[in-house]
Amino acid sequence: MNTSAHLRRDAEALTGALPALFAVADRLAANVHIGVHGRKHAGTGESFWQYRQAMPGDELARVDWRRSARSDTVYIREQELESAHTVAIWCDNAQSMAYMGKNMRARLLALALSILLSNAGERIALPGTIAGMPRMGTAHLHRITQALSAAVIDPVDYGHAPGFGNIKAARSVFLSDFLGPEKTVFPALKAAAARAGTGCLVQIIDKTEEDFPFDGRIKFESMGGGISFETHRAKALKEAYHERFAARSAALADFAREHGWHYQKHHADGRPQAALLWLYQVIGQQA
Amino acid sequence: MGALQFLAPWVLLGLLVLPILWWLLRATPPAPTALRFPGVGLLLGLQDAEKMPDRTPIWLLILRLLAVAAAIVAFAKPVVNIENQLQGQGPLLVLMDGGWASAPDWVARITAVENLLETMSRAGRPTVFISLAQPLPAGNEMPFRDARDWVGHVQALAPQPWAPERANMLDWLQGKPDSFETYWLSDGLAHDGTDLATELAARGPLHVLGTDHALQALQPLTLEDGNLLARVIALPGTTDRKITVSAIGKSPDGAEVTLAVVQGILPASETTASLVFELPLELRNRVERVILRGQNSAGAVTLAADGLRRRKVALVGVEGQEGASLILPMHYLRKALEPSVALIEGDLSAMLLSAPDVIILSDVGTLAQGSRAQLLEWVKSGGLLVRFAGPKLAASINTMQDDPLLPVRLRAGGRTLGGALSWETPKELQEFPENSPFFGLPITNDVQVRTQVIAEPAPYLTDRTLALLEDGTPLVTQIHSGNGRVVLFHTTANAEWSNLPLSGLFVQMLERLSISASGVSDKIEPDARMWTPTQVLDGFGVLHTAKSIPPVSGERLSTMPVGADAPAGIYQSGDQRVAVNVLTSEDGLTALNLPLGYTIEPLIDTQMQAYMAWLLLLALGLLMMDILATLWISGKLSNRGALRAASLCLLLGWMPVDKAQAEDTAAIRATAQTVFAYVLTGDAAIDRTSAAGLLGLSAVLHNRTSVEPAAPVAIDIETDELTFYPFLYWPVSEHQADLSPAAILRINRYLAHGGMILFDTRDAHLGRGSGNSSLNGPVLQRLTANLDIPLLAPVAKGHVITRAFYLLKDFPGRWFGPPLWVEIPSHITTEQNFGSTNDGVTPVMIGANDWAAAWAINDLGQPMFPVGRGLSGKRQREMARRFGINLVMYVLTGNYKSDQVHIPALLERLGE
Repeated sequence: MNTSAHLRRDAEALTGALPALFAVADRLAANVHIGVHGRKHAGTGESFWQYRQAMPGDELARVDWRRSARSDTVYIREQELESAHTVAIWCDNAQSMAYMGKNMRARLLALALSILLSNAGERIALPGTIAGMPRMGTAHLHRITQALSAAVIDPVDYGHAPGFGNIKAARSVFLSDFLGPEKTVFPALKAAAARAGTGCLVQIIDKTEEDFPFDGRIKFESMGGGISFETHRAKALKEAYHERFAARSAALADFAREHGWHYQKHHADGRPQAALLWLYQVIGQQA
Repeated sequence: MGALQFLAPWVLLGLLVLPILWWLLRATPPAPTALRFPGVGLLLGLQDAEKMPDRTPIWLLILRLLAVAAAIVAFAKPVVNIENQLQGQGPLLVLMDGGWASAPDWVARITAVENLLETMSRAGRPTVFISLAQPLPAGNEMPFRDARDWVGHVQALAPQPWAPERANMLDWLQGKPDSFETYWLSDGLAHDGTDLATELAARGPLHVLGTDHALQALQPLTLEDGNLLARVIALPGTTDRKITVSAIGKSPDGAEVTLAVVQGILPASETTASLVFELPLELRNRVERVILRGQNSAGAVTLAADGLRRRKVALVGVEGQEGASLILPMHYLRKALEPSVALIEGDLSAMLLSAPDVIILSDVGTLAQGSRAQLLEWVKSGGLLVRFAGPKLAASINTMQDDPLLPVRLRAGGRTLGGALSWETPKELQEFPENSPFFGLPITNDVQVRTQVIAEPAPYLTDRTLALLEDGTPLVTQIHSGNGRVVLFHTTANAEWSNLPLSGLFVQMLERLSISASGVSDKIEPDARMWTPTQVLDGFGVLHTAKSIPPVSGERLSTMPVGADAPAGIYQSGDQRVAVNVLTSEDGLTALNLPLGYTIEPLIDTQMQAYMAWLLLLALGLLMMDILATLWISGKLSNRGALRAASLCLLLGWMPVDKAQAEDTAAIRATAQTVFAYVLTGDAAIDRTSAAGLLGLSAVLHNRTSVEPAAPVAIDIETDELTFYPFLYWPVSEHQADLSPAAILRINRYLAHGGMILFDTRDAHLGRGSGNSSLNGPVLQRLTANLDIPLLAPVAKGHVITRAFYLLKDFPGRWFGPPLWVEIPSHITTEQNFGSTNDGVTPVMIGANDWAAAWAINDLGQPMFPVGRGLSGKRQREMARRFGINLVMYVLTGNYKSDQVHIPALLERLGE
């Protein structure tokens, strides 16, 4: 009774919010064609890598008798190593992302990328969430979906790259607006980058954050209300804001270049396919 | 216009705040708009290149200060013309006339007294409150108390249906040497002419207050040339006054209806006007009272009883020879009755057809068998049969069996007294016995009876005897039969057997039998006969059943004006009913005579409020302008949305919003679903209750029936279209203004085309006249005076409303008791002009049980008001809900349910 009730509740939770995001992400992922990428090493895999002479200690079962029959020595067929790498995805869930659907876009990209990577047999970790441990497979994908759909918004104004704990990721994708104070954004990035391997910074922003189309006497507040700034005439600040915004973008690009990362700006109302394709290419190329 | 004064001058101290406000408003720039924006982090540390002006322009400042100042001055309650009203000190007497003449503007008077007492209580002055129409306080001291202690007493007062007893007050004051200041809320009439004002002025300052209500009253009705004559009396006026009087009486089915309405003009110079009701006899006899519209006082109601009823009397007898009129059997009857009754003569069967009140058979012996049965039937249904003896009757006496058309069994033959061969002398009459209707009539010695028919002795004889001869033989006997009675005079109606018909006593006896009430006025002899009040008037002129009022002697009634011991109303003694009215036909209205230098001043509170309201309106207007100006300064007025919002502010302040579009959507909404509506009364609390009540009813309907109404709608009865709504709930509130002619037209059309209105006076007919609350009955009368409302009657057993969904016996709401009134079913009414307009579905229902309060639920779905107590309360609320469901079913399906009684018959026919 109790178990079935729980099951039902969970199932409803799954069918409630999950499929929407999952379906969109799945459809998005289906549009990206992937090829299995070999690891350029001999190992367990599907595709042929090389024949080598059998040596003492090799199992008899691994001998390729057809090849061996053509010569005097016994050969063993080796496949290319297809090992799974860990990809860490950080989807910023702070208050600032709750502006104009930025967080929804971030989650969509994260989930679609997860689906693609999962299909490619990679291990995925979302540090700091219930899908924090790198795993693979459908069950893990569901965990990821759940983690992304939980829709709990962090009470903090701006998110920071999370601590990775004992996860060692080969690739990382950071989805955030990176609009927090300079003093905290970059140190956190740097700290994360140490354990995050290489990866992508995707800066998800809204058009108004780039254009600053405001005028009049306005008291700007951060989404959580923690920071406020009052101006008498917003229009007069437009130039200065543009400069600062461009500077932040440049700083992020610089950071990426220095650490061998990639940087991309993505508008929350733009087409998600382009961003996803780019992301997958970058991750896939490096893998 | 006198000097300006403030009732709450300390509020003016608030003006001292204005300079502070000035400084504050100058320093504070208009508040910025707040905006959530993640990019704010990038803005930190930026400097504003330009600055908006952060000082409010001086003219805007002045505008705001003016608005605040206007509000402050308004709350200080500026009043004009009261310079001497509220000054003074020392003990105080608040005097109120409190009689019938105070009733028309009773609420205003009570409010004024309450305000006065409140003010005086603040001033800490010891106060005595006295209503002159109430018993004066006992004791030799003036009962001074704190003014506020009197407020409850005042609220419980109701106007009394008699004149203020000023003479008593004068006596009462004699023993008390105090000096005091007096506020006298006078009705402006002299009444008995007591000069109370001089005495009061001698005791200290005197203020006589009054309203400008044009008081009018009615003298008792008279009959003139067979028409009812209503005389309106008034004080001299400045303009011609339009007057309307209505005659009220019972329709054949027993419902009270307006029988006739007469309008007239009372010229400015005149103080009396006579209005004539030209009514056919049948209608005239039904008139029970006449009401002067627009007065609402006991003096504006005059009751009619037997005095005004000209009864239809049928004389049946045998005509004698021509020319010998003085010895004709019916000559004396004719002479006695002619002035006061409508006489008809002819043979019995023709007389029975014309439905007379009284049939007099003068010396009629044997009746045809058919006529007998008819006559008996007529007596049993309430007729009065008076028979006179004579040779023919004596010849037809049947000693073997009782004759139902004779009160007693008679002996054959009769007897002759004082003949030539007899020792006996003609007999005189004894004093009338106490149970006789003739009791108290003076016996004159010259009445002598020479011949009579004799009653057979029997045990019942004493009970049936109304008059005796001096030797104890019955002269007049009576028997009740069904609703009617049979009276037998044991002698002739002419002078053949006795000289009784020649005497004045004969006429008086006929009168006492109420064959002929005199028709000129209600006569009550100043004798010891006791009169029991059956119905009494209250101060507002509403007739109530008399309860626990002891009988009053004829002497008291005939010699002294009405008072607490003998209120105006209908009195009964034996079979005679008389009306005792507040005013007699000698009474006129005379203005109160005040000593030189005193005038009647208006009541205080009305002007005060007027000024306060205007200043508050000014403040509001200035604030509206401030909104616009602020928008303009901050450059938001160019914005289209803001402009619209601003103009909306203006419109809300001054004009009704363009309603065309709103009406369309309302119409679509109302017609797409079932929507119930309630009428706005102008009292916010009542309107809320109505809305919540209909919502509660809708919820119950949702749960239990297939009717799923949308949220209820408020209706402004003056402007809104009614046709969309199947049903209007109309709570009656005294705040509601009279209906405009256009509104009346629309409501009448609504009622004629199948609409239904449920009027709810919400007061359970209680609290009538207690202070200034719940006087809703008269308000309902006022509101519905011009509506086409058919004859109404309390819901009869088996009415469709009692079985439209649930089977109901009564219709409780928050209260329980008063009946629900609906249209009389058409098969009962004899009046054809109403007929069945809506297929027999009543267009109005009138009740007083406050149903909306019983139905009302709050946002949480819980009842808003308590109903009853405990389980019975729960049951009552359930019954109220069931009534609501039945009501809606009745509204929506009409008499469908009553047609269902034919279903068995229809099914049977289908089976064939």
